[in-house]
Amino acid sequence: MRVELRHIFKSFPHNGSSLEVLHDINLTVAEGEFVCLVGPSGCGKSTIIHLVAGLERPTSGDILVGGRPVTGPDPSRTVVFQDAALFPWLNVLGNVEFGLRMAGLPPVRRRARALEYLKLVHLSRFTTAYPHQLSGGMKQRAAIARALALQPEILLLDEPFAALDAQTRAVLQNELMEIWELARPTILFVTHNVREATGLADRVYVISSRPGQIRDVQAIHVPRPRHAEDAALLAHQHKILELLGEEVEKVLQDELGERVHFPEAQHPVPPEQSRGMHS
Amino acid sequence: MQALALLYLLWEATAFAFPAWPSPRTVFGALMDDFRQPVFRAALAGSAWRMLVGYTLVILVGISGGLLLGRVPLIDQIIGSFAVAIHAIPGAAWVPLSIIWFGMTERAVIFTILLGASGIVMVSTDTGIREVPPLVARAARTLGARGTKYFWFVVVPSAIPKIVDGLRLAWAFGWRALMAGELLTSVSGLGQLLSQVAKAGQLDQLLAIMLLIASIGIAVDGLVFKRLEHAVRVRWGLA
Repeated sequence: MRVELRHIFKSFPHNGSSLEVLHDINLTVAEGEFVCLVGPSGCGKSTIIHLVAGLERPTSGDILVGGRPVTGPDPSRTVVFQDAALFPWLNVLGNVEFGLRMAGLPPVRRRARALEYLKLVHLSRFTTAYPHQLSGGMKQRAAIARALALQPEILLLDEPFAALDAQTRAVLQNELMEIWELARPTILFVTHNVREATGLADRVYVISSRPGQIRDVQAIHVPRPRHAEDAALLAHQHKILELLGEEVEKVLQDELGERVHFPEAQHPVPPEQSRGMHS
Repeated sequence: MQALALLYLLWEATAFAFPAWPSPRTVFGALMDDFRQPVFRAALAGSAWRMLVGYTLVILVGISGGLLLGRVPLIDQIIGSFAVAIHAIPGAAWVPLSIIWFGMTERAVIFTILLGASGIVMVSTDTGIREVPPLVARAARTLGARGTKYFWFVVVPSAIPKIVDGLRLAWAFGWRALMAGELLTSVSGLGQLLSQVAKAGQLDQLLAIMLLIASIGIAVDGLVFKRLEHAVRVRWGLA
């Protein structure tokens, strides 16, 4: 299903006044496309996910999925959150079956479908384990299986691998890719990790912060499977880092009240006026 | 263990210093004798039975009351503060009312337990219902949980730790209310025995029964509720 955000503005009430988090966001995700949103922390990327999921309403603008406006959460648009958000009172199988239960699937079919997806994420041996017994990587696998078991038209992922170590992250990225190539759901994947974004996506939107705005969009034409050292990928990463460097400097200036300079940033800053930083 | 040994020694010391005050040996001896008396064992069984019935009612009334309060705003508006008020009144204070309504009967004692302990269960359940972790709520909604299904499959399970906390406290309140009820009515039970031996001036028996009452309260709390509470907290990821 195609996703379209048109002229999305979002403000939150904050200490009596309002804080604009998203400013005139326009983006589309074609059916079956894998799109990443990259940006510094606090730039409203998660808000975009919540808006598409129907968990929040935009202050103004339209969100269309398959041509129809989003009015609320729906199991055709499932989410994988940064910290899995598994239900602690259910074991892994129960968690993955949850959406299917809500949808009214009979127990036998529910179980079969859940086990199918648990096999895809390599958690077949842990079906009776409870979330508190799982490692971070296993929780995320379970969360992915849970989100996919509903066979959604759109899979939304909000920094799902951010809390994991590099090796686990790499493994899960590969698993996600494999799964995507099987079923081809439309994917909107939010991350602050530029490498991850360029390694996974067909297109990458770069989001600036405070308020969040689309800074750039890059189409990644590198064929899959992609290699981390691919020159074209590195070029994309470099470009994105440049843009982000400026954004992060802006954020830090707000927060620290001083000017911080990243070597990759485009604008020249006299050395006496800045503290050097290396990413 | 060391704490208990210390207390024992302290007790022996005071008994030695004040001859009128019974020593631990005398008290334990009295307790051992008591257990050989059928009347005593019957009283103990009676108390246990009343507690069982009363506590079961507390669970039923407390949890369903709490669920209603949390789910139906109208009910919360009408009797919400009432539940909190009930909870604020100590069990013993309900005895006179219980006696007026049910006479000096077993029912009065059970009623006292109900009123003394269901308030905390209602309040805990209500709080648990209202405090669904936002992340859980969001995940559930995106997976298609709505309305009644959302309530029974998401809200209630996430309230279980709070409910269990309430049940544990209710045990303590209920046990106290039971003793107060038996003490002040003429219903046979540990509480009533307490009043009997007090009137007869049998200090060693008095202490023996008090010790027993305290021990049962602590034992059930430690062996049942504390473990349950911990197990629940671990699974729910709170501990």
